[in-house]
Amino acid sequence: MAIAALEGVRVVELGEGVSAAFCAKLFGDYGAEVIKIEKPAAGDITRHWGPYPDDIPHPEKSGTFFTLNTNKQSVTLDIDTAKGRELLVSLISQADVLIENNMPRQMKEWGLDYASLSKLAPKLIMISITPFGQTGPYANWKAYDLNTFHLTGAGSRYCGRQGEAPLEHGTYSAEYYGAYVAATWGLASVFAQDETGGEHIDVSCAEAIAATFVGGQNIGGFAQDGVFGSRTGVGMPLAAPATILPCKDGFVWMLALEAAQWHGLVNAMGNPDWAKLEMFDDMFTRAQNSDLIYSMMIEWTMQHSKQDIMDMCQENNCPSTAVYDIQDAAEHPHMQDRNYVVELEHPVIGRVRDLGAPVRIPDCPGGPTTAAPLLGQDNETIYREKLGLSETQYRDLQSAGVI
Amino acid sequence: MSRKLPLSGIRVANFGWGWLGPVAGQTLSRLGAEVYKIESYVRVDINRTIPPFAHGHDKDPNCSIQNHAAWAGNGSVTINLKKPEGQQLARELAGQCDLVLENFGPGVMKKLNLDYEQLKAVNPNCLLISMPAAGLIGALKNVRTYGMSLSSITGLDSITGYKDGPPIPMENAYADPLGGIIGAFAAVLALNYRKRNGKGQHIDFSQQEGVMQLMGPAFMDLAFNGRVAGPRSNLHPQDAAAPHGVFPCQGDDRWISIAVADDQEWANLVAAMGAPEWARKPQFETLQGRLDNIDPLHSALSDWTGQQDDYKLAEILQKAGVAAAPVLNISDLLSDPHYKARNTFVEVEHPLGFKETVYGNYVKTQHAEAPLATGPVMGQDNEYVFKDLLQMPQTRYDKLVADQVIF
Repeated sequence: MAIAALEGVRVVELGEGVSAAFCAKLFGDYGAEVIKIEKPAAGDITRHWGPYPDDIPHPEKSGTFFTLNTNKQSVTLDIDTAKGRELLVSLISQADVLIENNMPRQMKEWGLDYASLSKLAPKLIMISITPFGQTGPYANWKAYDLNTFHLTGAGSRYCGRQGEAPLEHGTYSAEYYGAYVAATWGLASVFAQDETGGEHIDVSCAEAIAATFVGGQNIGGFAQDGVFGSRTGVGMPLAAPATILPCKDGFVWMLALEAAQWHGLVNAMGNPDWAKLEMFDDMFTRAQNSDLIYSMMIEWTMQHSKQDIMDMCQENNCPSTAVYDIQDAAEHPHMQDRNYVVELEHPVIGRVRDLGAPVRIPDCPGGPTTAAPLLGQDNETIYREKLGLSETQYRDLQSAGVI
Repeated sequence: MSRKLPLSGIRVANFGWGWLGPVAGQTLSRLGAEVYKIESYVRVDINRTIPPFAHGHDKDPNCSIQNHAAWAGNGSVTINLKKPEGQQLARELAGQCDLVLENFGPGVMKKLNLDYEQLKAVNPNCLLISMPAAGLIGALKNVRTYGMSLSSITGLDSITGYKDGPPIPMENAYADPLGGIIGAFAAVLALNYRKRNGKGQHIDFSQQEGVMQLMGPAFMDLAFNGRVAGPRSNLHPQDAAAPHGVFPCQGDDRWISIAVADDQEWANLVAAMGAPEWARKPQFETLQGRLDNIDPLHSALSDWTGQQDDYKLAEILQKAGVAAAPVLNISDLLSDPHYKARNTFVEVEHPLGFKETVYGNYVKTQHAEAPLATGPVMGQDNEYVFKDLLQMPQTRYDKLVADQVIF
């Protein structure tokens, strides 16, 4: 039996919302022991976001909380009390990794900034995932995922119709992105921890996207030539077909760039006369005639389902795909072949389906194995057994509302 | 700042191509690994051919500045994998590496005689990270996508667009740099596995599954309620904040993002607006009321923001305790004081004699920092890799160059 990739790694998570929770979940997926710190009574904000079964709000039944917090323990702790902070520091001192997404100013006020913590725990790997990072003029700006995403240029340049509002995907796109980056840096530091020691990893979710996505293909050209584009609402305005079109039961991402892909698409469409024009062999010429091309294509796509169009195109070496909604994607036979969706037992909700691990190691695949924790469910174990509090001390902290 | 980087001493053979594969290599290189992208003049990587090019270097595959930011940090060796001698050479290099990365379709590495079994023969502890579109197994394993359309099979495109309208495509491949970073995550995860188990593995990272994690909350609504999410403008994905959107400001295509999560933040916003009559209406007092009346709320707020400068308004709202930020365009990225302060974008001197702007160390670390790199020149590491690392005699090197095996 293989040892899990992160077996023995002890993580404390001190955060609210998506970024820190998802980063810590990635650790938990592969065998790390994750203790999630939550506010007494209310718990993590995502407990109040839903979605809930039958839309009935309940702090133990939030789907967003569930999917972000599998394989974790939960303890409650009032960080605004001196005793609470003392307990937290004890927990952090026993950990290898701290994952947090609080405002830098707030961490300093709590005495939990890296300079302070590294004195107590020199080998600590502290992963800070914030909208804008630990330094710079916006470091202490209040921001949610939406503010973060739109500081990257991604919406203005790439998403939305000209003249209308720039868009973000309908999810916490910036926080997930930053969390993946943070987990990557974090796992590398964990790998080298014995040799190199502690580290403070400062991830700005906005900066990660501004750099790697928006900057990745724009910044060199803009710096040299001073010209930049903005969103059009069309997948690729300079080549065609390359955009989303409607079809009989939804939408398809129609894409044919190279001549062979275009010929494949023409074949899939049943070789209509309009498409046989030789000038249309060139993707740029097609784009110049995109009104015509797209209207003729829509006549065809509207007669077929998204999956049929995808299958016909793919068989003809044209890389068009169906625009799957969440049901299409999650319930696709492909996902069943790969067992991507898992089922877990939760004491309040019952059986719950969740997405599996993003990356699987054949010997020890990882992924969610225990349901998201109830609020403070591990208080007794962690405080009594791990920190060695006596029965009286524990009860006193409870009645004082610290835990 | 003088300490070793965490992956110092780790060597990577990167067969990855396009945008995603090189980002995976770049990420590992920023963490201290020594990364060699294997490529060839037989078929120049498509991303090297994308304009704009550095001035005076039009169409030079070593000078696509469109591409360099995303590739910087990868080294480059040129090997013609169409020839058996090239495949042999690639196996020899892989034998000297801890990690091998690739993002071909399933079966391509086998055709190149570089599949996991053959790599294991030269390096028993090899970690092979495969990063195909939809994984190595399953009904869709051979699906053909571009990075731009990969997100269509994850569900992500289906929730992007204006509320109640059709999906709007993200006009570039969000899934490519994100997938490259997840590929690097898979690689460091595999290193941790090998450290504990003392052996290699073949990791099947499906880009689809990695990106689909972003659909977690939408999936839960499907699992709980059978509800299928659709486009929703910039509204909060779980309707937990209002107002929550992007609002017009003075000037051409200027906007501000504003998100109000609770009643205190709403009170802050109302105060910052000077408590206009519309904002004091009882239907806006509670979060539920604001959610129920979000269209008139957003419309009235737009009338107010439309009179103001985006940057100045963001400052004012921040001071008032409201989450707000300007919506940046590409040119703003280089002038924005925050990105300047963090050295997000840096100018570097390319060895071929031009300056180029790339992104720097966008993750900041306290103790060790990777050196800045430029876009790799094809074959820039040939001499070192073949002669020093693989200890190839000069005569064999010359012959392989002449035979266009090293090419």
